[in-house]
Amino acid sequence: MSDAFTEIGRALPRKEDRRLVTGRGRYLDDLAFPGALHVSFVRSPHAHARILGIDSVEAAAMPGVMGVFTGRDLDQWTTRLRLAPPIEGLQPTELTTLPIDKVRFHGDPVACVVATDRYLAEDAAECVVVDYEQIPAVTSIEEAFAPDAVLVDETLSSNMVSHQSLCVGDPAARRAEAHRVVSARFALHRHTHAPLETRGCVADWDDGRAHLNMHIGNQVPHPLRSQLAARLGLSESQVTVMSPDVGGAFGQKIALYREELAVAALSRHLRHPLRWREDRMENLMAAAHAREYECRTRAAVSETGKILGLELEIDEDFGGYCFYPANYMARVIALIMTGPYRIQDYAYEVRVALTNKCGAGPMRAPMAVTSWVMEGTIDAIARELGLDPVEVRRINALGPGDLPYTMPTGEVLEDVTPKETLETAVAAIDVAAFRERQARARSEGRYLGLGLCTVIESTTYGSEFYKSAGIPGSGHEAAWVRIEPSGAVNASVGLMGTGQGYESPLAQAVAEGLGVRSEDVTVHMGNTDIAPYGMGSRGGRGATAGGGTLYLCALKARERVLAIAASMLDLNDAGGLRMRAGHIERMIGEDWQKTGLALTDIARRAYLDPLALPEGVAPGLDFSHSYDPPAMTYSNSTHACEVEVDPQTGAISIDRYIVAEDCGTVLNPIVVRGQQQGAIAMGLSGALLEQVIYDGAGQNLSATLADYLVASPNELPEFEILHHHTPNQRTPAGIKGMAEGGVMGAIGVIANAVSDALAPHGMTIERLPLTPQSICALLQEAATSPAKRTQL
Amino acid sequence: MNAHKPEPLTLSLSVNGQTYDLQVPARKLLSDVLREDLGLTGTHVGCEHGVCGACTVLIDGRPARACLTFAAQMEGHDITTIEAVGRPDALSVLQQALHEEHGLQCGFCTPGIVMTFEHYLRENPAPTADEVRDVLSGNLCRCTGYQNIVAAVLKAAARMRGEAA
Ligand code: FES
Ligand code: FES
Repeated sequence: MSDAFTEIGRALPRKEDRRLVTGRGRYLDDLAFPGALHVSFVRSPHAHARILGIDSVEAAAMPGVMGVFTGRDLDQWTTRLRLAPPIEGLQPTELTTLPIDKVRFHGDPVACVVATDRYLAEDAAECVVVDYEQIPAVTSIEEAFAPDAVLVDETLSSNMVSHQSLCVGDPAARRAEAHRVVSARFALHRHTHAPLETRGCVADWDDGRAHLNMHIGNQVPHPLRSQLAARLGLSESQVTVMSPDVGGAFGQKIALYREELAVAALSRHLRHPLRWREDRMENLMAAAHAREYECRTRAAVSETGKILGLELEIDEDFGGYCFYPANYMARVIALIMTGPYRIQDYAYEVRVALTNKCGAGPMRAPMAVTSWVMEGTIDAIARELGLDPVEVRRINALGPGDLPYTMPTGEVLEDVTPKETLETAVAAIDVAAFRERQARARSEGRYLGLGLCTVIESTTYGSEFYKSAGIPGSGHEAAWVRIEPSGAVNASVGLMGTGQGYESPLAQAVAEGLGVRSEDVTVHMGNTDIAPYGMGSRGGRGATAGGGTLYLCALKARERVLAIAASMLDLNDAGGLRMRAGHIERMIGEDWQKTGLALTDIARRAYLDPLALPEGVAPGLDFSHSYDPPAMTYSNSTHACEVEVDPQTGAISIDRYIVAEDCGTVLNPIVVRGQQQGAIAMGLSGALLEQVIYDGAGQNLSATLADYLVASPNELPEFEILHHHTPNQRTPAGIKGMAEGGVMGAIGVIANAVSDALAPHGMTIERLPLTPQSICALLQEAATSPAKRTQL
Repeated sequence: MNAHKPEPLTLSLSVNGQTYDLQVPARKLLSDVLREDLGLTGTHVGCEHGVCGACTVLIDGRPARACLTFAAQMEGHDITTIEAVGRPDALSVLQQALHEEHGLQCGFCTPGIVMTFEHYLRENPAPTADEVRDVLSGNLCRCTGYQNIVAAVLKAAARMRGEAA
């Protein structure tokens, strides 16, 4: 990291902590709206059924009830969501605000009760009688793709809503000439985000101004405003989105959900403020799910384990509705699959199925399965060829001499260090010593395992990426920086934090660019009337797109400030000036010396004595900037973990967890470390415990936090984090972005470690999660058929 | 289903040393009464089924789930909420340690964790890391991975014992 930085890289504690740690944060449900009405949704008890009729007479007459509304009502007041980007192999889809004719999953909202209080709204929702005719439910990819499958969306030609493939080089020829072709399978299960704060919103229609004030915890306030305005037939001037403090999102708070649109439409229809907060059951059943994939690889390899060609198939279970283009997540997985390795002959096929489950969306690391698939394939190669998995990684890994490296999909890797992080992690874990311990333990009937997983994490998606993906949209971000007459520094950006802790690191980006202390900068986010139109928070774009834009904008401000300072000091130009901690300094001889002039003096002149400004300098100190990052930025890391599997109970204990990570220039090491820990924890929790479960009829069996298990501190280890800091040469300040790679690495490393531990049983992990029950079942199966390699 | 609006009960609640006379329906949860009737929104609701711990308050000095308690049961008991523990400009020892150790991200779980350990550390001034993890397992945190929360509790404990940390 550059030593030249004084504010970027400081371990500055988070500005938001004081309010949050004392219970003075303001989350959505903490905001008071006198007289607001409460909304409760009536949800489908069936996975797939026609709606024959909805009888709300009894419910509408109940105490406090102001109305009961159906999909047909809302269809008059909102437009439908049509998703039809010009992407080959993607079927266009269209959605009404609430279902009108048919429900597509257990928990699908069919009607909406408005009442004076939440308890009364819920009472009435229970009394709405919906007449359903059940249809067989499609509950797996296999069922969805069966030739006689029932259609989840009857406007489509099949349940295969998306199908793409690519072939680069000649993988078939590589297979023909290979020493061995190694096949591997990876089934990742359905997850859900489960932020501790569930979804909710307050729609406050201002009838006098014909203006919608939408209070909602959301990651992308401006794109959300565009959606709301379009679907309500309003102009973007008639909608303000305001995001208060948010209790976690992880990708779940990006889309405009049907419930939120219904609440907004009804606030306008009833000319009254309306509020809705879903309960935990609704959140787990009906908000958004993620990650249900079946992947298969075939690697053509040489005798030494060098990968000559790779073929990949991905099938995704997308659930019942498309809130995103259906190829959105799986495409990125296929695009970056080869990641840290030198592979040029590559083919993929990606198929996405609609099923009768909750719709899928991006969840922290939408491409999470990637690293498990690639690194599990590497381990499969090592196993089949009897090679050391570390050596197979070494022989294929991209080193400094390979960069910049164009992946077979055209993605370009630069300023990444996969070989270096691999060596750092391997050295830290001391593989040779571990193997000795492992051998000793095995002789005592104990099963230790070591996993490795190298990650290439796509962080910031620039406009060029969207263009080549055929998705309309931009990857730019926008910011303003304003120095007020008193010298106070305000700034804003289109991001919206949902717990990451943006306030300190983004203030640091501004402070660095401008030349003030981070403590003296306030960054305003989440209000679309205040913040400039930006693309918001998703993926790992916060630091590069958000921090980068603020930094560039602050540089612009600094230039003006120094120009005014030069004229106040009677200098011809600002060449020998700088600002530090809000004080103008001048280079005299070899030294920077105080001039006695401060930002407050310059602000006073700019606002209160503008005629004294140098010629051509406009009054005020108000700057804006927008910035479009490169097509893609990448961070990288290697995870290593030691586990012990208890063959009696199936329990997995993690004895050691190391990650060597290179995320370039770090704005704030405290916040970055927190993101690394949180991401790894989310990956491990998902791989070990979490699972959305549907039975064969499509009934959701995991709708409480006692059924959908999120890791407690007893299941998670301490994480040892080792740092590399290779700046990206093409981004402001060398920032790369991060916060998702931990999920990718954790899933891969734990699966690989458990496979290593259970190798004496001839077992390989091909399916997650690794619950004690699933491990016991695997061991049992291995015991009864010791000859064949077992799948769960 | 009963079509009549339930009659509210009149009750007197003692919260953070103050007595409130209220009219609330018998079925109204303590968490909702604290948040909606008393405006004490620092007590969060993450599940309403007793698992997440976000709603933890002290009832007669002991941690309890406000989402599993009816306000109507609370007459004659003393309730303490996060609002009585520190202020933004005067953090408690534990709150200060959570800030320093980056023991929170979104902060939604934090008030419940603070209430749990304000009580625990009074009775267990010198816990081990494993003991802290055990107690903390009653409070879900989706953001942090817990490592820094454990470090913060240990740091706070040391400071409360008068040891430099
Ligand atoms: S809200 Fe009470 S335990 Fe979750
Ligand atoms: S900090 Fe977000 S749930 Fe704990």
